[in-house]
Amino acid sequence: MATYLLRRVLLGVLTLLVITCFVYGLARAMPGTPLTVQLGEDPSRKLNPEDQERLRRIYGLDKPWYMGYAQWLGNVVRGDLGRSITRKQPVTSLIAERIGPTFLVSGTALVLIWLLAIPLGLYASARSGHADERTTSLLLYVLYSFPTFVAALFLQVIFSVWLRGTPWELPLFGMTDLPADAPWPARWADVARHMILPVTCQTYVALAYDSRFIKANMEEVLRQDYIRTARAKGVGPWRVLVRHAFRNTLIPLVTLLGLSLPALVGGSVIIEQIFTWPGMGRLFFESIRERDYPTIMGLTLMFSVLTLLGQLLADVLYCAVDPRVSVE
Amino acid sequence: MMAHVPHTRSRGFWAEAWGRYRRRPLAMAALSFVGFLVAVAILAPAIAGTKPVLCRYKGRLSMPCLGYFNRSWEPAIFARDRFRGTYPRNLADKDPDSWAIWPLFFQDPYRAVRADEWPGMPANPAMDEGRPSGRNPFGTDQAGVDVLAKMVHGTTVALLVGFVSMGIAGTIGIVVGALGGYFGGWVDTLTSRITEIVMCVPTLVLILAIIAILEKPTIWHTMAIIGATGWTGIARLTRGEFLRLKTSEFVMAARAAGAGPVRIMLRHILPNALAPVLVPITFGIAAAILVESSLSFLGFGPPPPTASWGSILNDARSNYRMWWLVVFPGTAIFLTVLAYNLVGEGLQEATDPRLREARK
Repeated sequence: MATYLLRRVLLGVLTLLVITCFVYGLARAMPGTPLTVQLGEDPSRKLNPEDQERLRRIYGLDKPWYMGYAQWLGNVVRGDLGRSITRKQPVTSLIAERIGPTFLVSGTALVLIWLLAIPLGLYASARSGHADERTTSLLLYVLYSFPTFVAALFLQVIFSVWLRGTPWELPLFGMTDLPADAPWPARWADVARHMILPVTCQTYVALAYDSRFIKANMEEVLRQDYIRTARAKGVGPWRVLVRHAFRNTLIPLVTLLGLSLPALVGGSVIIEQIFTWPGMGRLFFESIRERDYPTIMGLTLMFSVLTLLGQLLADVLYCAVDPRVSVE
Repeated sequence: MMAHVPHTRSRGFWAEAWGRYRRRPLAMAALSFVGFLVAVAILAPAIAGTKPVLCRYKGRLSMPCLGYFNRSWEPAIFARDRFRGTYPRNLADKDPDSWAIWPLFFQDPYRAVRADEWPGMPANPAMDEGRPSGRNPFGTDQAGVDVLAKMVHGTTVALLVGFVSMGIAGTIGIVVGALGGYFGGWVDTLTSRITEIVMCVPTLVLILAIIAILEKPTIWHTMAIIGATGWTGIARLTRGEFLRLKTSEFVMAARAAGAGPVRIMLRHILPNALAPVLVPITFGIAAAILVESSLSFLGFGPPPPTASWGSILNDARSNYRMWWLVVFPGTAIFLTVLAYNLVGEGLQEATDPRLREARK
């Protein structure tokens, strides 16, 4: 186990090196620098050449990209993700600021997904083949194919345009409309109202996928001999389903949980962009547009670490819950 | 039952799979929908446009509508005679003997139709006024361009994105997976590591970065990038199939008969590994259409003259009261993705023997 973990971690570090190097090279190859993109075409805000040169030197933009990468890597090893060029604050504090809103939406979505997917999956496998199950499954399949950004736009049109003026109207953009000094119950209620649509969008696809996944696993287990034995000795149908069958489908579910880790913290670039939700996904999108190299790199590093960690976690948990599986 | 076994050659794998596929009504409906889209894409200029499908002008027959596929396919004589894209009036004025067969629907995907361009037809409404009507069934956008015409011509993009990018991804994935699975050893380690690394590359950053780097990004670049990053799942599956099949008896027999590795891989293993690999390719087509339309939606799609469903959605973001810019293209994207997913599902059920046994 220890050698396996060590090998996985070493490989992970190698993967991280390749990815960050690649992304850094790409980011630096994009036309424009944080300085030129930020100031735009407005001639009154143009820096004089000396100032521009001075700033380029300060931010290390005068060096070729591989030197910049080496410098960034050196700082990361020492635990420093650098300072955002366009926002004038450390990347770590920028991430800390944005991770809360993302976690609020994706955490809520994750809880909802699991709360709904397991009963739905169990229901579908209990009623397998009946007309009501077929309708539900077809509906879930259709939902699964519904692109999130299209759903987000549809929901916005329905709840913010068509239902304008009714009690059902929901806010279109942002996290809250109230000032920071409003009393907290009102603020929380307002944030919750803003959350409804983004959470719905993040929930429904995974809900459809996960409940189908649970049903597929259940069908596999329900064909086993020990299920027939349990039924033969007179165990009730629900008890067979929950106690005998469902427990044995927990193993693949655990891997699914591990793989949802990056999405939980990374948020969704498109959803956050559509609802202008101030989270990590939106920060990522903004930093690419602003050519804010330190932020792009900080976020890329974080996303990659989480993806690798999620995969590792899934594999390790898999061995932990099923002693028959060996890490090799 | 065994007594009636006919003495003809048994049906091949694909014929049998097709027989099973045909029995699934949803999968067949989805396949017909894809066929319908292909027909719309090919016939787009004849369905919606302002250029005649076929016309006789100054004694010559020509098809100016082909200009929608490629500018240079529009006969030069119309540019010389200063038609400037307006055919109905110019044809009648400049050659009274001319005749023309018009597209089913007189609307242009790239510009608003002006007043009286078609005798008696008013100009397209613009901005909030362009709600769906008899003349513009799906409404018009801010500039007054007809949405239905844009969507008909955007079908080409949606289909091409799916086929081209998955063609690229399929080729890379099958080659990488086949090499790793067949040779094993260090080749396998190398290809597996490369696959893992590409899996972790954030596709969106890659696409945004490359589109920013390119001076003139076109739809072909987007397809190439989607293809170049979307092959990992296919490679993993192909590797698994090759690992499984390379120890089978028919491969051993081929090797004993003196077949080289390339021949064994292409002629013996690949045909047997193709069915399971086709399934993720079909799902990949749906995913590629999604990526392209969401990129266009975010404003990183092909430059304006190219019509893409996602870019119509992008127009909608500046004014949500123009709901028709959301509902119609959104539904088109959804139905297309759903159709490809259903085709993939049907293919899986029809070709996977394990699933078939499970059904019994």
